[in-house]
Amino acid sequence: MFKNYFKIALRNLQKNRLYASINIFGLAIGLASCMLIGLYIVNELSYDKFNEKANRIVRATMEYKLADEVNFAATTGTKVGPEFARTFPRIEEYVRTFISSSNVKYDNKLFNEDRILFADPPFFKMFSFNLLQGNAESVLDAPNKIVLTQSMARKYFGDENPINKTITVIGKEMIVSGICEDSPKNSQIKFDFVTQFLNLGNNVKEEQWWTANWITYFLLNNDENINQLEQQINAYMQTDAIRSQVGSVGESYLNYHLQPLLDVHLKSDLAGFEPNGNMTYIYIFIIISLLILLIASANYTNLATAQSASRSGEIGMRKVMGASKRQVFLQFISESTTITFIAAGLALFVSVLVIPYFNTITGKEFTRLELLQPIPITLLFLFCIIVSFLAGLYPALVLSGAEIMGVLKKGFRCTGGNGLLKKSLIVGQFAISVFLIIYTMVILQQMDFIQNKNLGYNKDHVVVLPIGGDMQNNFEAFKDGLKLVSGVQSVTASYETPEFVEWGDGVNVVDENGEHNISINAMPIDLDFINTLGMEMASGRDFIQSDFALMDTTNNRANYQQPYLINETLAKQIGWTPDEAIGRIISNRALGPVVGVVKDFNFSSLHEPVGPLLMFLGRDFSRNYMVRISNSDVQGTLGRLESFWNERTNGRPFNYHFLDEDYNALYQAEQRSAILFSVAAGLAVILACLGLFGLAAFTTVQRTKEIGIRKTLGANLSNIMLLISKNFLVLVTVAIIIASPLAFWAAKKWLQNFTYRIEPEWYVFIIAAIVTLFITFLTVGYHSIRAAMANPTKSLRTE
Amino acid sequence: MKTIISITDLEKFYSTDEVRTIALNKLSFKVNEGEFVAIMGPSGCGKSTLLNILGLLDDPDGGSFIFNDIEVSDFNERKRANLRKHNIGFVFQSFNLIDELTVYENVELPLIYTGVKPDERKKRVEEVLEKMQIMHRRKHFPQQLSGGQQQRVAVARAVVNNPKLILADEPTGNLDSSNGNEVMDLLTELNEAGTTIIMVTHSEHDAKYSHRIIRMLDGQKVTENVLV
Repeated sequence: MFKNYFKIALRNLQKNRLYASINIFGLAIGLASCMLIGLYIVNELSYDKFNEKANRIVRATMEYKLADEVNFAATTGTKVGPEFARTFPRIEEYVRTFISSSNVKYDNKLFNEDRILFADPPFFKMFSFNLLQGNAESVLDAPNKIVLTQSMARKYFGDENPINKTITVIGKEMIVSGICEDSPKNSQIKFDFVTQFLNLGNNVKEEQWWTANWITYFLLNNDENINQLEQQINAYMQTDAIRSQVGSVGESYLNYHLQPLLDVHLKSDLAGFEPNGNMTYIYIFIIISLLILLIASANYTNLATAQSASRSGEIGMRKVMGASKRQVFLQFISESTTITFIAAGLALFVSVLVIPYFNTITGKEFTRLELLQPIPITLLFLFCIIVSFLAGLYPALVLSGAEIMGVLKKGFRCTGGNGLLKKSLIVGQFAISVFLIIYTMVILQQMDFIQNKNLGYNKDHVVVLPIGGDMQNNFEAFKDGLKLVSGVQSVTASYETPEFVEWGDGVNVVDENGEHNISINAMPIDLDFINTLGMEMASGRDFIQSDFALMDTTNNRANYQQPYLINETLAKQIGWTPDEAIGRIISNRALGPVVGVVKDFNFSSLHEPVGPLLMFLGRDFSRNYMVRISNSDVQGTLGRLESFWNERTNGRPFNYHFLDEDYNALYQAEQRSAILFSVAAGLAVILACLGLFGLAAFTTVQRTKEIGIRKTLGANLSNIMLLISKNFLVLVTVAIIIASPLAFWAAKKWLQNFTYRIEPEWYVFIIAAIVTLFITFLTVGYHSIRAAMANPTKSLRTE
Repeated sequence: MKTIISITDLEKFYSTDEVRTIALNKLSFKVNEGEFVAIMGPSGCGKSTLLNILGLLDDPDGGSFIFNDIEVSDFNERKRANLRKHNIGFVFQSFNLIDELTVYENVELPLIYTGVKPDERKKRVEEVLEKMQIMHRRKHFPQQLSGGQQQRVAVARAVVNNPKLILADEPTGNLDSSNGNEVMDLLTELNEAGTTIIMVTHSEHDAKYSHRIIRMLDGQKVTENVLV
């Protein structure tokens, strides 16, 4: 029986190639998006689950209140791990972690490696990273031991066995004690090397509550009542002894939260070693793929229903010969199943083809092989079943329920109620398309705004060069050398680059209005900072060479003064105009005068307003040189910088980046949504138009006789085109009217994430409407012109 | 001889928004097993309506219809379909073959719906194609055949299930006279082999092949002539 159904289905496909290709292509695109997005979601949901003890591992995060402001951080001080493990019996182990970069040298191989993990010894006992060689108990039990991943072992040692070989990392000779599998892609901790946490140096050897740069994990004895433990920790942190250790006075406090390991990636606001995933992002992905699938399914439903007229004889005869309603229903479901499964094959092919682009959008690293694993294939299969019913249900119901007499006598036409469904589906498809077009346009405009916004500094043509190793010792000579490289306009240095300042701090000011304690961001900088970055002064001046004289370290710092630059916002918060601020004494690291007020610039993401910022002359903190180069011959200048670098750094790899790239990286998530929405909008429009193209073809065929008669009676080309296009254009207009306010609302909502944002412009809606109507007209126009140009006698004869 | 069809005071109405048309007006007659009955009358007299009711494609609005000793006037679509597929074969003026299926597959279809096993199906389809002399065309699609051939396929399809009753609705209406005669000969042969045939026709020529002619007007029986 089913053989017969499939046979009919295949022959129908052959007979109606246009409709078949529209359906197969559309469903394939829909299924491919669902499959890829399914893969993405499965990956996101599987984060950190490979850890056998995942349910018992928690990450400690910090909550503290200083100067009236509550802050949260994923990083903690060195004391948290050992202190809590000593105090609370439920804590079995603690592991403090940090990831840093360093040069790694073996034999004549020297590379700069970015993923060197520093972790306390129980690391491999707590987490389930698979050790291929070495013992979890002992691989990290001495400071000179290091574990390499398989890839690194291959990179540095080739076919040699690395175990017990000596390799130079962070300037120390270390012995390879173990090899582990590469860290899984769905792990929040990803590394290439692991060595002891204490190798980070003297500053981590002392247990400290503050200087919180480390991520601390605890292994608990069971997974129950984590809240209860958190409360015990809170109570402990509020005891007088601890408060005085911490230095909390009055309302200020320091407290910790315990986040289950499995919640970190998707449910935490605090990023750890990598940006967290986001449930919202997952929901958006799901919705978009379902919308695309819905549009494709609607095409199927519409085209199949439209074709019912030509299928009426067949259905009638089947019923006459005893086919039950159920049998006819099953036949049509088999047809949609056949089409869907052909589409699924194509979807698999398309997915394999586009996976690199998909990786760009999602920031994942899926391989083609991963698509052919049981999970994605099962997903695809499930979607096929769903779509077969979703798309085939209505035509199957209508056709199987058709009254046998009506079918045999007049042929079967979908009119009345069925026409309403067709219209609703078209309106739905185009509403989705228009919504996506408008939403995408707003996102793109905002991204354009972000890229071109006047940030208060000039981010273009600034090369960032990381300072490392012994470069700090030759800081000035190196800086002077850089200035002499041809093409370099000016050079400065700082702890952080200006696009994203994270250093949190406080400032104390006593003036005629009393004492102010203000939470601020702080930034140690070198000379020439304002000039190199093209910032503007509201009053006063930039740091100059003679300011160093203020920082008098002789006589036990008795006369030490720290000169400061502040931004307009800070001046305003203290209650000073820029001019009033000059020469005032404030205290951060030490007392010192304000020498200048910088016009506000955006030093964090545009999601946030500009806050108070303090800059102090702190050459010793510098981690990056920032080099402004001329915009002509950028490649040449980079080449000369590289030769200079190689000459002066003793083989340190030349890893430069541009400031504007760093800036753009802040908006990676937004960039990705922008790409995602552009693709989705494009696909939605293409699929909706394909459907319309098919329907228009069908309508024209159905109305051939009518068109013939009208032409005989004197209708001209434009009359006929209008006749055919009118209905479709009306439907699309309805879609535009429905979608516009929804898109306006959604775009507004998205824009609210940004403090600095555009307003959705009215012309965006007009453009979206015109584009959509124009595309509709083109799509339908092709058929109407063909119909209008045909010889009427011919069309009349065909009936 | 046994009665296969007995209708009494059969009624059927068609209603549009404003007009109610009487298609069958208290019509009564009987047909015995093995009879060949022709129904004649002008367009709109209710012939086709009658045929559809007799063929269990449609249900009457009033009166009684006993098919093979069973009262079927109150049967639902499902029961009718079940009775129909085992007992009744149809031949239409416009053949109504399924374009997407070959000759063989078209003839096979009723056997599929009655659940006949594949081996048995093959045997029976080939037998009937042989008998209708279209075996050589079995792999062709309907569009590739002449009208006469198409109607032979339709007849083959109607008889492949060995129905007790064949209903023919103007079976020669779309055929030229020689093809038409061939089809009439086929029906006669089937009738001689024991199948009851009820045929609606406009053609006096075709009607002469039957045993009895029922003439209708406005949904009522006007005359009834027995020819043999």
